[in-house]
Amino acid sequence: MSLDAIPIHVVNTLPAGSGLTGNAPPLLRELAEQVKRLLATGEPSAIDLSALPLTPADLEWLHDKLGTGEIAITLQANGESTLNETACPGVWWVTHHNEQGAVNSQFIEVAFVPELVKAHPKDVEIGWEHLELLISDL
Amino acid sequence: MQGPLIDTLVRQGVSRRTFLKYCATLASMMALPPTAGRAMAEAMAAARRPSVIWLPFQECTGCTESITRSHSPTIEGMIFDMISLDYQETLMAAAGFQAEEALHSAMKDNYGKYVLIVDGSIPLGLDGAYSCIAGKSNLDTLKEVAQGAAAIVAMGSCASFGGIPKANPNPTGAVSVSDVIKDKPIVNIPGCPPIPVVMTGVLAHYLTFGKLPELDDKGRPKAFFGETIHDRCYRRPFYDQGKFAKTFDDEGARNGWCLFELGCKGPVTHNACATTKWNGGTSWPVQSGHGCLGCSEPDFWDAGGFYKALSMPANPLKYAAVAAVAGAAVGVAASFANRAKKSAAKAAHETTTLADLEK
Repeated sequence: MSLDAIPIHVVNTLPAGSGLTGNAPPLLRELAEQVKRLLATGEPSAIDLSALPLTPADLEWLHDKLGTGEIAITLQANGESTLNETACPGVWWVTHHNEQGAVNSQFIEVAFVPELVKAHPKDVEIGWEHLELLISDL
Repeated sequence: MQGPLIDTLVRQGVSRRTFLKYCATLASMMALPPTAGRAMAEAMAAARRPSVIWLPFQECTGCTESITRSHSPTIEGMIFDMISLDYQETLMAAAGFQAEEALHSAMKDNYGKYVLIVDGSIPLGLDGAYSCIAGKSNLDTLKEVAQGAAAIVAMGSCASFGGIPKANPNPTGAVSVSDVIKDKPIVNIPGCPPIPVVMTGVLAHYLTFGKLPELDDKGRPKAFFGETIHDRCYRRPFYDQGKFAKTFDDEGARNGWCLFELGCKGPVTHNACATTKWNGGTSWPVQSGHGCLGCSEPDFWDAGGFYKALSMPANPLKYAAVAAVAGAAVGVAASFANRAKKSAAKAAHETTTLADLEK
């Protein structure tokens, strides 16, 4: 059934530029501090976007400002996750989706490489065992 | 199945990254610092599966429904893979003597270490005869099982505060878990039903840190009940602008304005619906156009009607302070003539409304 069959039309479309609360710009300063710390000490950090009072318009503004970088990583684990570098290297826009495609959580990570991308030593061990198995079958 | 949790999960095809991602989301929902996700993952991965006993008393099984039918079985289900649910009447295959044996062997094997989850209130009337399982009153069962519990989770408004069975005139003499058990750590997860992720969050906290999370004055985990629905409501800007829906089908309602005047209890209700939402983040009561009923607060059923406005503030921005005293025998707009009416309302457990104040 097409949704057109339901006689509903949206009357309250918001004018462009509305919905900005002014909560997004300060985040750029916080990010700058975090990048400074990353360079000085190598310590990664993150901002939890779902924990902040940001409207969709705020998020869009922030996303626009930070831009798109060279790397875009897609992770398939219990739904899709995207870890995209912004135009500022070391600043990553991380979005976790659930299996239905809805956004579970959203972060801006400041790190050379996001934590989730790195392979865990235990997993590497399992991979090594698998390689040994492949070799023994030769 | 013993051994570190991560081994159990890996056997079930859950990858380390899936688990890490899950912990990041959970940490976010629990308002923990973003980097806590990794620490949680490390601790939880190494944790052993705790034994959990779930006792249903005077309840409607809505709490169980809420948890078991949560949107994404892989997320909330994962937590259930992390515990050993040794007794749950609704879910277990065993019945009768077998079921009782499962309960007693779980209690014996894990004495002093198991987590007890209770949903439903405990009737004290007629010596507890209003609700019995296996020939024993709920009161006796609770006392017996609580003795060996490391911690107790009161699931839902009935177990937390007495809930609907306790509603005026409370024919069965229903009370909450904390009214009966005084010597064990108890965490209340109220809500009718409670939000699944709050439940899993508390269990995850217990697995990670080995103790219950920080609680507010009503025994609720602060991470989820620290703020009111109103504080985190996406319709809050309309409240601040003084834009209210006056009926459920007027222009304000269509524009998604604040539902305060239609009886929304958001300003006095502590819960996480506004941020976690329901049905896999699809929506929540206010988003669907209906005010909050206040189901996670004590005695919500007797709070004076779901469609009665809490009160009318003189100045919207100063409302929070007014809300705190609404219903008590003080109020900025109160006049002496209204004292009697107000104390009557208080006695009847009703919230004082603007109409009451202006009459």
